[in-house]
Amino acid sequence: MANTSVGRFPDPHDFEVPKELEGWEEMYPPQRLFSQDRAEWEKRHFWYQDKIHAPEPMYPLDDIFQEAWQIALSQYTTRVFCIPPAQGIAQRMIGCYMYITAVEPPPPEVIGKKAELFGKRVPYVFQNYNRLWDHWYDKFQELGKEMEAIKIPAEFPDFVPDDEVFPKPKGFTEAHEVMESFNTIISLIFKAWQFHFEYLNLAYLAYLMFVDTAKKLFPGIKESTIGKMVAGADVSMFRPEEELCRLSRLAVSQSPVSNILKKDTSAAEKIKELQSTDAGRMWLEEMERIKNPWFYVSCGSGWYHYEGSWINKMDVPFSYMKSYVERLEKGEKIERSLTAISEERDRIVAEYRALIKSEDDRKSFDDAYNVVRAIYRYAEDHLFWVEHWLHTIWFRKIREFGNLLAKYDVLKEADDIYLFNRFEVPMLLEDLATSWALGIGAPTRGKHWQGMAAKREKILEAARNWNPIPALGVPPTEISEPFTVMLWGITTDTVAEWLKGSDVEAKDLNELKGFASSAGVAEGPARVLKLLEDVVDLQPGEIMVAKCTNPSWSPVFTKIKGAVTDIGGLTSHAAIVSREYGLPAVTGTGLATSVIKTGDVIKIDGGTGIVTIVKRA
Amino acid sequence: MADQWIYWLKELGTEHNNLVGKKCANLGELTKAGFHVPPGFALSVGAYDRFMKETEVTGRLLDFLKTLKADADNVADMPKFEAASREMRRIAESIKMPADMEETVKKYYAELCHVTGMKDLFVATRSAGPVSHPGQYETYLNVSGPDDVVKNVVRVWSSTFNTRSVIARARLGLPLHYDAIGVAVLTMVDARAAGVMFTINPLNGDESKVAIEASFGFGEAVVSGNVTPDRYLVDKITFEIDERVVSDKGAEFAYNSETKEMEYKELPVDMRKIPCLEDREILELTKIAKKVEAHFGCPQDIEYSISRSMAFPESIFLVQARPESVWGKKKKEAVLGKKTGWELLFEKATTPIKLKTS
Repeated sequence: MANTSVGRFPDPHDFEVPKELEGWEEMYPPQRLFSQDRAEWEKRHFWYQDKIHAPEPMYPLDDIFQEAWQIALSQYTTRVFCIPPAQGIAQRMIGCYMYITAVEPPPPEVIGKKAELFGKRVPYVFQNYNRLWDHWYDKFQELGKEMEAIKIPAEFPDFVPDDEVFPKPKGFTEAHEVMESFNTIISLIFKAWQFHFEYLNLAYLAYLMFVDTAKKLFPGIKESTIGKMVAGADVSMFRPEEELCRLSRLAVSQSPVSNILKKDTSAAEKIKELQSTDAGRMWLEEMERIKNPWFYVSCGSGWYHYEGSWINKMDVPFSYMKSYVERLEKGEKIERSLTAISEERDRIVAEYRALIKSEDDRKSFDDAYNVVRAIYRYAEDHLFWVEHWLHTIWFRKIREFGNLLAKYDVLKEADDIYLFNRFEVPMLLEDLATSWALGIGAPTRGKHWQGMAAKREKILEAARNWNPIPALGVPPTEISEPFTVMLWGITTDTVAEWLKGSDVEAKDLNELKGFASSAGVAEGPARVLKLLEDVVDLQPGEIMVAKCTNPSWSPVFTKIKGAVTDIGGLTSHAAIVSREYGLPAVTGTGLATSVIKTGDVIKIDGGTGIVTIVKRA
Repeated sequence: MADQWIYWLKELGTEHNNLVGKKCANLGELTKAGFHVPPGFALSVGAYDRFMKETEVTGRLLDFLKTLKADADNVADMPKFEAASREMRRIAESIKMPADMEETVKKYYAELCHVTGMKDLFVATRSAGPVSHPGQYETYLNVSGPDDVVKNVVRVWSSTFNTRSVIARARLGLPLHYDAIGVAVLTMVDARAAGVMFTINPLNGDESKVAIEASFGFGEAVVSGNVTPDRYLVDKITFEIDERVVSDKGAEFAYNSETKEMEYKELPVDMRKIPCLEDREILELTKIAKKVEAHFGCPQDIEYSISRSMAFPESIFLVQARPESVWGKKKKEAVLGKKTGWELLFEKATTPIKLKTS
């Protein structure tokens, strides 16, 4: 990275990735690549790696969520609610990693027009949010059910059954339906992502507004305190964990069940054993009843097919329940008290409010608080329904397409389907449909597709071993796009930190700076968790270091002494949950998982956002 | 209470400012309100008046002052004031207080020894002006035994003739021989650490914080500014310790039992840079500070002491509380410009965030 000069990062058009990655461009559609024809526009922007949504190299089919959000997020800012000086967020791929930029502001006359529309449209949302949420929830359930209803056959019949021929001829075959279904599921996932952003831009904007307001009144207030003021307690995001607590309590009331749950065997073995007793069967029935939606929780961010969900990695929820049962039997309390959380939030707000001297300010504060409270829970609710529930359904369906392709040797393994982008998968399906239609002995291009898959798998492997540069291009002097600040935490400090980090080898860093997300100081051995499955190695009292966390990680927080993440601001999952459990947390350090190794003794100060490596393992 | 000139602290309250001086009245108020204040008693301004008028002090001072020809606005005359002060204090301290007063003070002191279960209890004799005279008059620490208590009460009275007070009165055209004050006689806290706290951030007036300064030994080290204290900034509402600065404290203000004097004693090297408060003490102090502020209804400047021999949280004592003088008086102006939530949102949506990058 010798070409990193002071104050700027390399030009994306000159930037070269390691040669092991050669051919990476072919995996992604051309509009997702830096290009000479758009160079002038691209050079004017500041591109940084999106470690929140794409911390890993992108499998071409997993890239679909990114494509979908680029459109959805941006349009709500530019065309729907019209946040005046802000534009969308553009994406580009480099070496299988995704870089994003906040698009430069529109011309002044557009800002004026947008302000007018913003003034007309946004108040309506705030005034009617509860009703709008109910509506959102209904349509999203419907969409999910539609996706769930898509049927992908395990194999094609040798001959279509009689009932497709008479008395009411169907007129088309399953081979055609498979192609159609793929188009349908693509449309549904894109639409789901439209819904995903329906109120998120405004929720973030309201939050940022409240942060400004609170800081004007109380110069010394910490963002973690503001986070506490706005956080909702009874949000969907926390429900899966509550269900685990409830099932654990149910188990403890029936000792044969709790004894099985406490065993060191696999989830599959436990389920088998439970089926052999009445109490066990009743307990399993209860678990089945709530599994959809509450076990539709991704074991990761929900963005990668290989992460899996609780429903297909039952060892994860069963390991949580094992520890809950053990704690319950020791007389410990496992649930978070929602009332206590709400009461604490209300106390903090009331006491701060009482400090405001001016009657006018108190009025403005109340009003600002009501605005943020009216909508903020959306930021927490949508996450469960989109990234977890719906993505779980999506991945299950896509795997079925993969199974079908693998069955006929178009692919070697079902999961190889993720090595093809969403424009390519229809080619594979059409190839399969054609070969079936042509009759016995007609070949597919399976060898060709399998060769492509093998090559791409190699490139992705090389990409995983590459440490991508945090940013490209020229840092901006101002930002008005709400997500850039709130979600990616792009501030003067982060940019400076990246510039610094790009000169220093990760292994030489001994101090990291991130967001002071949850106050308190902790010192202890680090446990770097790259995947949630690594959680089995976690020892009580360790400090967790992860790229980022999500609701399926919540139970982890009962075991650890503190949390550090690479990605995420003050309202990221890790920040919220840490505050609830009173654990120190530093989020958005950018580099923690590459700098810190399991076993290093680290000290984290959630009040200042500083992580220090005290002793290397 | 007309003829009464001595009171237990618990008999006093803020309403007795003019009777016993502010410090005594506030300590009484704190005691009555249930705060942990070292037990003690107060001599009213009437006691000062009796001492001055029933003995020959006033006559002798007035005689002496006839000889003083000095101009308080003339720097060259300062040595004259210094000499005069020395003489006035010599006169006052050479005269015994009326016998019945001496007897009563000793009776109160004996009762204090009895209540605390200590023979020859160590006390502090502190001045308490009815109008605020911060630091103008003097305080004597580690006074022990009935005779010494009586002697030091007189010393506090005579401190109304210290140089800076005499000059101040001369400038204001006030009588030089008389400025009635109250005296507090307080049980000494065997301070392991002590200091000052404000129920406001003294740097920016943020009322959501308690700022605590602390040093080893007695609180005079912090109050006088002779030691760089540890500093803590605590959020009053979340009880999070937002900032902690542990300083090199160098020395502590301590009692030398051989010379029977208070003195700065150098701290051992390994103690200089260790925090002098535990986290639980910081949080308990914050709780107390909030209660004191709520009781008086305005930001407070509080002195506290933490006993070496007592167990937490009984170890924490308040030795002074007064309204914070800098920010407390400022009128808080509105900062949000009467905007509605919607207007604030619109403002946020239209104002880009500046990044300092170059």
